[in-house]
Amino acid sequence: MSPDAPGHRSPLESSPVQPPVRGASLLPAALMALAAVLYCAAAPAQVDLSGNWVAESLEDPVEHTDGSIPDMFAGLPLNDDGRQAGLTAPGDEMQELNRECQPWSAHYILIGPWGGRFAAVRNDQGHVIAWTLSSPAYDRLPMTIWMDGRAAPPPLALHTFEGFSSGRWQGATLVVNTSLLKDGYLEDNGLPSSNRETDVFFITRYGDELTILAVIRDPVYLEAPLVEGRTLKLLSGGSVTDDPILYCMPAETVPGFTDGYHSAIELPPREQRQQAFLTGLYHLPLIATLGGAQTMYPQFQQKLRSDQPPSQYCRLYCGRDEVLPGAPNIQTR
Amino acid sequence: MPLRRCAAERCGAKLVSAPAVLLVLALAAAFGSADAQAQRPRATGAPAGAPRAATQPARSARAQAPYDLTGYWVSLVTQNWRYRMVVPMRGDYAGIPVDPRAKRFADAWHPAADIAAGKQCEAYGAPSLMQVPERLHIGWQDEQTLRVETDAGMQTRLLHFGPAPSGAASLAPSLQGYSSAHWQLFALTNTFGAPEPMAHAPRYGSLVVVTDHLLPGLLRKNGVPYGADTRMTEYWQVQTLAPDQWLMISTEVDDPEYLTDPYVYDSIFQKEADGAQWHPGACSLSS
Repeated sequence: MSPDAPGHRSPLESSPVQPPVRGASLLPAALMALAAVLYCAAAPAQVDLSGNWVAESLEDPVEHTDGSIPDMFAGLPLNDDGRQAGLTAPGDEMQELNRECQPWSAHYILIGPWGGRFAAVRNDQGHVIAWTLSSPAYDRLPMTIWMDGRAAPPPLALHTFEGFSSGRWQGATLVVNTSLLKDGYLEDNGLPSSNRETDVFFITRYGDELTILAVIRDPVYLEAPLVEGRTLKLLSGGSVTDDPILYCMPAETVPGFTDGYHSAIELPPREQRQQAFLTGLYHLPLIATLGGAQTMYPQFQQKLRSDQPPSQYCRLYCGRDEVLPGAPNIQTR
Repeated sequence: MPLRRCAAERCGAKLVSAPAVLLVLALAAAFGSADAQAQRPRATGAPAGAPRAATQPARSARAQAPYDLTGYWVSLVTQNWRYRMVVPMRGDYAGIPVDPRAKRFADAWHPAADIAAGKQCEAYGAPSLMQVPERLHIGWQDEQTLRVETDAGMQTRLLHFGPAPSGAASLAPSLQGYSSAHWQLFALTNTFGAPEPMAHAPRYGSLVVVTDHLLPGLLRKNGVPYGADTRMTEYWQVQTLAPDQWLMISTEVDDPEYLTDPYVYDSIFQKEADGAQWHPGACSLSS
């Protein structure tokens, strides 16, 4: 029967409410109240994620602040297509004017330096129907994590940089499934991510700290899931960053190599870059820089083993404030 | 009127008569607020803003375990690869909040002296052990002690549950120190809509580990040091997407001697079916 059909009664109408009788309702009311309070005590509310969370663990500190190292893919489970896409990327294309404002995909929470702000969206009954994750950084779009069980749009629905995300609680962990992402970057050295990327985030709060375990799958560019973690710290106030560069503005990924509109000046040949950045600057063997799932595992060290630790002294992006003499001329941003 | 899951500020608001309010207030005071968000420092108990931890009966730590940590786990070195899979260049302190004393120490440090002195394992102390590319073999030594072995460096950590034994404060310092552990347990899956009965809900939780009584050692194989007063706090969690299972350990190293701020890093391990890839090897400062 249609809800609009004559004679239809909604479930709410099917049980007429009896008028209350003064005094007689005291005991049932008290019991109901007791049950309600006991229920609230036993059945936990959702973990409160609200607040500004700043990145506390900074994995790959150089790559995720000063800029990624061109052609450095070690530890990333790239397949052949991903490797070729990475190697053919100029690495400086994000300094092109039309790309400077391009947002990152959902996985930016793992690699961006800012962290983010969680806020709850509640319905009239006070239920959290969604969490939003936003950032003052211009290259991070607000991400909505739907908690009301709504189904994901079909695969051919609009793909966006923030994608579609749904969440559910497993104990104190918010499990977020993200899909419908737009083509983007996995790293800012030009390594791409496809619009078939899907992410699962396990977000767990420990007091004033938040851990995120992410499982990134991309059948186009990855041969295995990319699993990464991050720890964030709750700020009692203020913003997740004091950096004034929060808006879209021109920025050079490779200083001096731009005419302001596109990457008009080519980077040095790849072999030269690799020599300068990897073997020369960071003492990395070329076999490792090509990435692939094998580079994630400890046994890959057998292919790298050398008898002596490096004797060279780090001269660029070494956790020091100064650039020491002898650093290569080529610099990432 | 259906009994819905309720936010603390709304719970029972339309259900009670005046005497019941007093009852509600008394019980609410006893149970606290489900949404309360008190800030707590690291590793002092249940997460602020988190669900109330289920009451833990007097059972052994092994019986309380919300998931099975035992078995073999392999490092997934997807982050900090340059600092973990190869020996970083001398003077590369990026990512570690070293103070000037630590820089001076590391700048003057040469591995040959440590190798000659047989001190290679100083780079495998508890504060840095979980970021070494390795495999873990985890098992219960007894009902209250979790044993964590590594093939790289052949180290063993013992995670002690329950109250510290008398005299623990005077324990001799060691490379792996003394680790106190406890479970943070949560008994309910919280979803939008109808509540799940507590009795039928799966159990979830995390492991919190605090380690001290450490001997000095190295945070990195290029000489970045940590001191004897170092204290570290870890959160261990296991997450599953069948058929895969991952262990994430978030580690905070506090060292008043050599760090300006806590050094925080994350380690990811993947579950392995067996120990076929378990190859114990000695400590090394050259790989």
